[in-house]
Amino acid sequence: MSTVKTPSRRRVRSEAKTPLTPSLLSAFNTVSIESPIKRATSTSIPLSDAFQRQASGGVIRKGGVESRIDVVTLDYVPPPKSAEVKRSRSTPAINRSERDRFISSRDHTLEVSATLDQMSLNAPSGSPTHTARLAAAAGVPLNRRILGYHLQPPSASSDTTLALQREFARPLYANRPGAIATSTGSTTNKTRKISTQPERVLDAPGMVDDFYLNLLSWSSLNCVAVALESSTYIWKADTGAVVQMGEAPAGTYVSSVNFSNDGAFLGIGLGTGDVELWDVERGTKLRTMGGHQAQVAVLSWWQHLLSSGCGDGSVWHHDVRVPRHKVMELLGHSGEVCGLEWRKDGELIASGGNDNVVNIWDGRVGDTGPPVAGDGVATGNAKWTKRNHTAAVKALAWSPWQPNLLASGGGTNDAAINVWNSTTGARLHTHTTPSQITSLHFSPHRKELLSTHGYPTNAIGVWSYPGLERVAEIRDAHDSRVLFSAVSPGGDMVVTGAGDESLKFWRIWDVPAGDSKKGKMSSGRGDGVTRSGVLSIR
Amino acid sequence: MPPTKQANRQAITLKGSTALVTEFFKYAVNTILFQREVYPSDDFHMVKKYGQVVLVTQDLALENYLEKILKQVQKWILTGSVTQLVLVILAKDTRTTLERWVFDVKLVEPPKDSSESIGKPEAEIQSEIRAILKQIVSMVTFLPVMTEEKVFNILAYTSDSADVPAGEWVDTDPLAIEASKSQQVKMRSFSTDVHRIEAMVAYRYEE
Repeated sequence: MSTVKTPSRRRVRSEAKTPLTPSLLSAFNTVSIESPIKRATSTSIPLSDAFQRQASGGVIRKGGVESRIDVVTLDYVPPPKSAEVKRSRSTPAINRSERDRFISSRDHTLEVSATLDQMSLNAPSGSPTHTARLAAAAGVPLNRRILGYHLQPPSASSDTTLALQREFARPLYANRPGAIATSTGSTTNKTRKISTQPERVLDAPGMVDDFYLNLLSWSSLNCVAVALESSTYIWKADTGAVVQMGEAPAGTYVSSVNFSNDGAFLGIGLGTGDVELWDVERGTKLRTMGGHQAQVAVLSWWQHLLSSGCGDGSVWHHDVRVPRHKVMELLGHSGEVCGLEWRKDGELIASGGNDNVVNIWDGRVGDTGPPVAGDGVATGNAKWTKRNHTAAVKALAWSPWQPNLLASGGGTNDAAINVWNSTTGARLHTHTTPSQITSLHFSPHRKELLSTHGYPTNAIGVWSYPGLERVAEIRDAHDSRVLFSAVSPGGDMVVTGAGDESLKFWRIWDVPAGDSKKGKMSSGRGDGVTRSGVLSIR
Repeated sequence: MPPTKQANRQAITLKGSTALVTEFFKYAVNTILFQREVYPSDDFHMVKKYGQVVLVTQDLALENYLEKILKQVQKWILTGSVTQLVLVILAKDTRTTLERWVFDVKLVEPPKDSSESIGKPEAEIQSEIRAILKQIVSMVTFLPVMTEEKVFNILAYTSDSADVPAGEWVDTDPLAIEASKSQQVKMRSFSTDVHRIEAMVAYRYEE
């Protein structure tokens, strides 16, 4: 055993002289000092124990042979000072298999490996063998093992970009907030009885599921116009008859429909940017008004003026009576215009766009804005520009009973109803709803506001004004998001259209019997020609 | 029936204590991985535990990984052969150790007058655990910010005689931080009737 002892003593000495070796420090750092009793017991036996374990573990395989070599080398070189220095510089984690009998070459290897060892950045990761020897040398107990699981932990499943995308998509995956705990998924006020079932359902095959389009209109003559891809149909509520109003030119589609105030004419906006004018009674096309370079997503009438909102952010007034139909251009949106609504008296027109802006314009045709070079068409400046919404504004509604009230509703990321005073420009009310607002209507003869919603609630909501408290809510009115809606000329029915290819008629407001005359006078779009008494859906 | 109640309370066995300790490790490890942002925060979901909200990973791979480790740790605690558990956080690219969260597992000597001693009420143990978890959360305020990508590693310090499943657990380096570059903070401890867990964190700190 004496042969073994010599090298081990040498090792101890050399290690003790290199206290600044990081590995040694790490060993001190990690091996906590335990009770002195334990240390005493582990002075001699654990050392050999540790080696035995290492040997069995295959870390050191050639203890015996190696020690003999060590003896030889020591015999050859009786420790001179220079050798001592070299050895002290070296850390014992030397690649021992490189040792040779030849002293010169051995010294060389030693030196090189020593420098390499010091150069390596990952100093603390000396081999476990080394740590064990070190601990033994320092008299610290090592009657234990440091074990690690053989597998590396799984890497993170997602990166930050994905997290960001999830953040953006969160509104879409939102839980249905404030779920209503009734079996029908609907709630109605105790004092109001609103049927949560539609009175009538019409099939609307091919209805385009696009938030930005406006494919539904109800005229004062009690006709419902609906655009299904390239065709436009008129459903006469009085008789239940369906008339096709013709097809859009090949390769395009109908992007918006709107009835004139008297119900005699129908404006049809196309994906190409053309605006068509149709005679409802005769079912013929009167003229095509071109000029827009992008899809006409919304139309709104005031008497002879047909205003169109375009995908390029412009709003044009077309005078349908004159050959040069474009009489005014309103430039105030940087995104697609998808909401456009004339006030009943033609004083103001409100527009909303995909740039999250609501603009209120003076309705008078005349040059107020900066002149546009070229066509000499009048331009206008927005009277008010509102940037409170944080998503596209499609839903706009003017109050029939208080002319300066404008309600606007934002899309998915906003989902808020704002009510504005168009005279002062003040924001009077704000109410956040659970989901995307696709359309808004004021009730003609009640102080109430109706909203339709997209994912996730697909609801129709009725709100009191000015409190904006929920009067009723019909969840899942359609199987997919409710995109379009129109109020009947009588003011009691509402028709909704959705991507589930159906139209549903809801009786939301009852016209008070004694009030029918008054209702006739003040109905929303009708300008006095409403025949509220005639409305019947068979 | 007060006597039976007392007997029940006393009956916190080695097995029960082991389960308690293992469960603590699970939540402690999850809390550290979340707080130190080793895994993206949206991999975690909230779970009510110890009377408070704890964030636990829902990454299946990680969940399984931790479960496998803790299963073995539980065996070791039961046989009393593990003395220390260390959660090491390393820089992914350089493999340098950034933080070591050390949990010492000590066996508590049963008191001499064991016939009279009443077991520590579970509520008290839970409140001690709660205190540690809260302390881990509060550590974030002073621990250095780690900007690089991180990975973690769990080390178990066991006795020589410990049963080691062949091939699954291997001897490793302690992954220590150099003493000159590290600072240590001792944390709270908790104890059951059988075990005492002491927590400590060492982190790389360079001026």
